[in-house]
Amino acid sequence: MNTMTESAHKEIKMIEKAAREFSKKVLAPEREENDAFPFGPFFNTALEKAYGLDFFHLNLPENLGGMGQSIRALCRVMDQICREDSSLGGIIFTNTLSQSILLETGSESRLQSLAEKATGVFDFIVAFPSLTNPHDLTDLPKAQVKNDVFTLSGHLDYLVLGGMAKQAIIPACIDGNKEYSLFLVNLDSPDVVRSEPIMSHGLHACPAVDVTFSFAEGFLLGEAGKGDGYFTKASETMQLAASAMLLGVMKGSWDEAMSYCGSRVQGGRKLKDWSTMQMKLADMVIQVHVADMLVERACQAVENQEKDWQNLVKAAAFHIQSAATQLVTEGIQALGGVGYMKDFGQEKRFRDAGQIQTMLGHTHIKKLRFIKQFLN
Amino acid sequence: MISRSELNVLMDREPKFDDIMISFRAIAKQPKGINKELKQVIAIARKFNEEVIRPGSLALDRKMHETPDHLAWDYVREANKRGFYTMFIPKMFGGEGYSLTAVAYFLEELSSSCGAVANIVGVHYLGIVMMFSSWNLKICNRICADVIKGQKNGEPCLLSLAMTEPDAGTDSQNVEFMDTGSLACHAQKVKGGYKVTGNKIFISMGHMSTWHIVHAYTDLKRGSDNTVMLAVKKGTQGFSFGKKEKKMGQKACPASELIFKDCVIPDENVCFSKEDMAKLKRRVKDTNAQVFAYIWAASRTSVGAFGVGTARAAFEEALDYATKTMIDGQRLVDHEWCQSLLGDMYKNVLLSRLAYTEAGYANGLHGIWMVMNVKPMYLMNRYLPKALISWFMKPFLNLGLTTTVFRKICFDMQSDDAVNRVDGWGSFAKVVGTDAGIQNARLAMEIMGHAGVRQDRRVEKILRDSKLFQIYEGTNEINRLNLFKRLVAKALPQTEVFSETNP
Repeated sequence: MNTMTESAHKEIKMIEKAAREFSKKVLAPEREENDAFPFGPFFNTALEKAYGLDFFHLNLPENLGGMGQSIRALCRVMDQICREDSSLGGIIFTNTLSQSILLETGSESRLQSLAEKATGVFDFIVAFPSLTNPHDLTDLPKAQVKNDVFTLSGHLDYLVLGGMAKQAIIPACIDGNKEYSLFLVNLDSPDVVRSEPIMSHGLHACPAVDVTFSFAEGFLLGEAGKGDGYFTKASETMQLAASAMLLGVMKGSWDEAMSYCGSRVQGGRKLKDWSTMQMKLADMVIQVHVADMLVERACQAVENQEKDWQNLVKAAAFHIQSAATQLVTEGIQALGGVGYMKDFGQEKRFRDAGQIQTMLGHTHIKKLRFIKQFLN
Repeated sequence: MISRSELNVLMDREPKFDDIMISFRAIAKQPKGINKELKQVIAIARKFNEEVIRPGSLALDRKMHETPDHLAWDYVREANKRGFYTMFIPKMFGGEGYSLTAVAYFLEELSSSCGAVANIVGVHYLGIVMMFSSWNLKICNRICADVIKGQKNGEPCLLSLAMTEPDAGTDSQNVEFMDTGSLACHAQKVKGGYKVTGNKIFISMGHMSTWHIVHAYTDLKRGSDNTVMLAVKKGTQGFSFGKKEKKMGQKACPASELIFKDCVIPDENVCFSKEDMAKLKRRVKDTNAQVFAYIWAASRTSVGAFGVGTARAAFEEALDYATKTMIDGQRLVDHEWCQSLLGDMYKNVLLSRLAYTEAGYANGLHGIWMVMNVKPMYLMNRYLPKALISWFMKPFLNLGLTTTVFRKICFDMQSDDAVNRVDGWGSFAKVVGTDAGIQNARLAMEIMGHAGVRQDRRVEKILRDSKLFQIYEGTNEINRLNLFKRLVAKALPQTEVFSETNP
């Protein structure tokens, strides 16, 4: 049973509508140009507009300046945005993950301070290595403490939003501690060196950098050595947001395939009138519907705090990751040669899906951890 | 235990022995020297990989993102300097005379380092194959001489294959679809030649090629039996280059637009016309289909090899990553689940290589280089000095009679079974190899996690490059249907493929 009230539903529908219009009117027309980053301009204007529409405040509690919405609202926004440009979805995702981690670590005051001081999106966002589970990294930066002040030294690869944010949550191991801790670091510090934006497979305009720390000051978030616990808690719901991103990509790919096959003629017929293509399109729309149902069901499970909601979210994520990568491959194939070209949206969706599936850690490692609870 | 007549009857049942046991049949006839040649060409390719491709391909890919209009002339010149554009041209045409059987292995090797650079080299042979599919030996001789000259003087002379049009992708590549009204590149017969108007798109290496082997149509509504194959040289009045496509991958190999506006091609550059085809035993449309079969059988086998190259590249990168990365205190390669995935990837490489090997044998028995694989021809091509062969053969190659004889041999004496076999195996190799490329690239990305999405780790580029192989030379969907048509439906007389009657 869904316990969400009617007014909450209406509010989410309005948010979803705003995201849909933003996606179509702001993101879609500039998609190719925005995807040229880092070899083209960054989409500052679109980003500031998204910030102005509160897409970065969806899950933040109202008392901290946010909209206090559930994961369902975030998923709906991600779905709409990622139909046209997942890069913005990646930025919102990473920032929302950072916010969730700050909340899990009991750092509400820091969040409040960020929200109050921010004059725009670049002041507000917090970077994080959102493509990894820090537990799986063997070479995390080291943290030393002296006079209650922590300093970080070492290297961290692929800090998402690290090139545009002013602060980041960095996993680091305190001397003598096997488990990592989480620190808030000022990226503008002279003790932090950021690389040029990394050229990546997808989500080109969701930039990441490699970072080197030389005794850079970091503020411990939560308790020392509990970083894995905080990340795990935050990622349990954020995995659903990643699934919603993939759902949006799938829908965008399906829409474009249907549109093209409905107009392109080869062999004297529209492509959609050839039964091989019909089979392909059928497979695509089936997977879109299945993914839609999975995200919806998982959102319901989270909202109702059902007993097994974490497993439902994970299972949905595994299925959708696999389905999405297959679908976007067929999405290009349905368009033939033009599907491979940047003038059309399919090739970007192909790359973005490949990148999104790496979010929050290695798929196979996640699967092994997932099954261990059943084996034990 | 079994009589000869019983044997023949049983071997002629589907699947026919001759259709499936290609390598067994080919190896018995294959000249021994080909083994040694294979090793040589693979070694030549590996050396190029080590010295040129590996050190520079990622930077080249990055540069292509930064400057999409960049043309990788340094790679073309280096390949030219090393003789790659003349390597597989028979000695009688002035080339180095390496066996065409070895092309696919050479291209797999290059593709294992970079799919784009492999295309920079390989696409030239697409144009060569298309030109030779006309068996117009006078033109072949003249144009090959240009290529040889280009290798000697350091100014590369490449060939491209130009079929695809804005409204005719599949339609321009399959005789069955040509009459559905989407063709637009018109060739009007004029005094002394043809006047061509129309555009070709997605032409690999278009901007970097000197000669373009072009299909145009004297009747746009009935292209299937009104195709004319023309050799168009860069700089011809009325011929210009249009846009370069913005591709997801294989960026260093441009996909070009060719624009023809009242471009007059003289008769001496007409490779194959309707009138030429009418002199052969089959209907013009069926001879046209044979031309396509010759082209596709060879080119699709090579594309299958490209795919195997990328499948192998993905496997090698994943293996390297797995041996150097620790997860839960152990190397990734020591985790059983990872070993299983890597095993699967290696299986894909082995299987898909077997596929193009088999298709290569089919080409040697029935396809465009069957003549060169006949032992006397092979031995002459391989062991006699180039100058001697060239001196001896040149006068014959320029004779119209020689072209007539070769066309009789290669068209009239090629049985329908042989056409089916070679074309079917080409499609098979293409589908298997290119699907393997995508499968392995995806698996490698999964194994490498966040490292896999970085351009500087190579694997994401392999995935981008691999995807195009599933599309060009006929999409894999078309190739599956062609495989069915050529190797299965031939035994089902009432079954039509590529037909408007197909639901």
